[in-house]
Amino acid sequence: MAYVITDACVDILDRACTEECPVDCIYEGDRKMYINPVECIDCGACEQACPTGAALADRMLAGTDAEWNTADNAGFFTQALPGRETPLGIPGGATHLGAVGVDTETVAALPRT
Amino acid sequence: MTRCDVAVVGAGPAGLFAAVYAGMRGLSVAVVDALPEPGGQITALYPEKLIRDVAGFPAVKGRDLVRALVEQLGRFSPRMLLGHRATTLDDLADGRLRLGFDDGAELEAGAVVVTGGIGTFSPRKLPCGEEFLGRGLTYFVRDPAELAGSRVLVVGGGDSALDWAETLQHSADVTLVHRRDSFRAHQHTVGQVLAGPATVRTNATVECLDGDARVTRATLRDTVSGETTEVPCDHVVAALGFVANPGPLLQWGLATHDRKIVVDAAMRTSRPGVFAAGDICTYDGRVPLIAVGFGEAATAVNHAAVRLDPTASTFPGHSTDGPAPAARPVGVPA
Repeated sequence: MAYVITDACVDILDRACTEECPVDCIYEGDRKMYINPVECIDCGACEQACPTGAALADRMLAGTDAEWNTADNAGFFTQALPGRETPLGIPGGATHLGAVGVDTETVAALPRT
Repeated sequence: MTRCDVAVVGAGPAGLFAAVYAGMRGLSVAVVDALPEPGGQITALYPEKLIRDVAGFPAVKGRDLVRALVEQLGRFSPRMLLGHRATTLDDLADGRLRLGFDDGAELEAGAVVVTGGIGTFSPRKLPCGEEFLGRGLTYFVRDPAELAGSRVLVVGGGDSALDWAETLQHSADVTLVHRRDSFRAHQHTVGQVLAGPATVRTNATVECLDGDARVTRATLRDTVSGETTEVPCDHVVAALGFVANPGPLLQWGLATHDRKIVVDAAMRTSRPGVFAAGDICTYDGRVPLIAVGFGEAATAVNHAAVRLDPTASTFPGHSTDGPAPAARPVGVPA
């Protein structure tokens, strides 16, 4: 039960969502943003903010071609990212963490347009 | 030192209903919240939205649900400590608990019910002009009538900014300032504002506020052309939303899981005398809804009542049985 930033964000990174998120749970990778599914309160503010329609509820993605993004958003926090030894876990706020600067392996491998 | 039987930490729907139940059990109750207004997430995030999943209400505006809860609570004469941030929770030798606040105040209670929701809300600040807070700059509009006939600058592009612009534009001279070129609020409200008497400035940011005793003007910068203009104003409503952080409530030594407070079936936390209800608590299978929070609040308080008086029953009796016992005056220990 969380919102997810899909690959529609890749190489756009508008960041309007971060100005709206009331719990500061949208983290910046290198090519896209990622929502921490544990910290997300499912309010939907990011969906309204996103100019590219990349922020969607996980339940809306189920069964679509974009469904992989749900596990990928979670994986950004639960798996050690390239160049890091431990997962990000639950950082408790994106602002103080700053841009993470790397993506999940899946996103990093997406072709640039 | 203020004393009460039950201290409720968090004045959202779960906390307000917990306080109602404490009153129905004849317990003296205090409600504390960091925000200056009751209502928690509802007030901070969606006061004008229609809520459709509260039992008995086919649809109820967020603001109206909060107002009804406050009214329901009113006859129990609760001590409302709004605008106070609870920072510490200590055990006293006699088994009671003591809450400490950021301003040094203290509150002693026989039981504490933590209904902190998604955490402590703070308004997202304007990047400038904070020195005019309370002197024309506000993050909340308590009463639109107070702004009638004045020049009001509303800042923001979300639901709360547009709701305020729409509400105020019929009684005040409103300028709405938003840093982007489109609004994220409900399209219906956006349409009402665009078609109404308010002046709308998109692609504009507030560069600075000026004035003397009170704010008198704002400097706006056009984000496209870079040009600045001065706008005279008597009030600035910064409706940039809120940021919530559960951090402080998680420092109280309560067992947590994924930044939520773990409770048992009686809503007890890992600390004796401390209960939790609503979105801040967690247990296997919890569903985060207002409807669920209400039930948890009643469970928590009825178990707190038994902790305060072991001869009491967890079952409070039926509310239809007759008038509830009058609450003891706040501040008088049991």
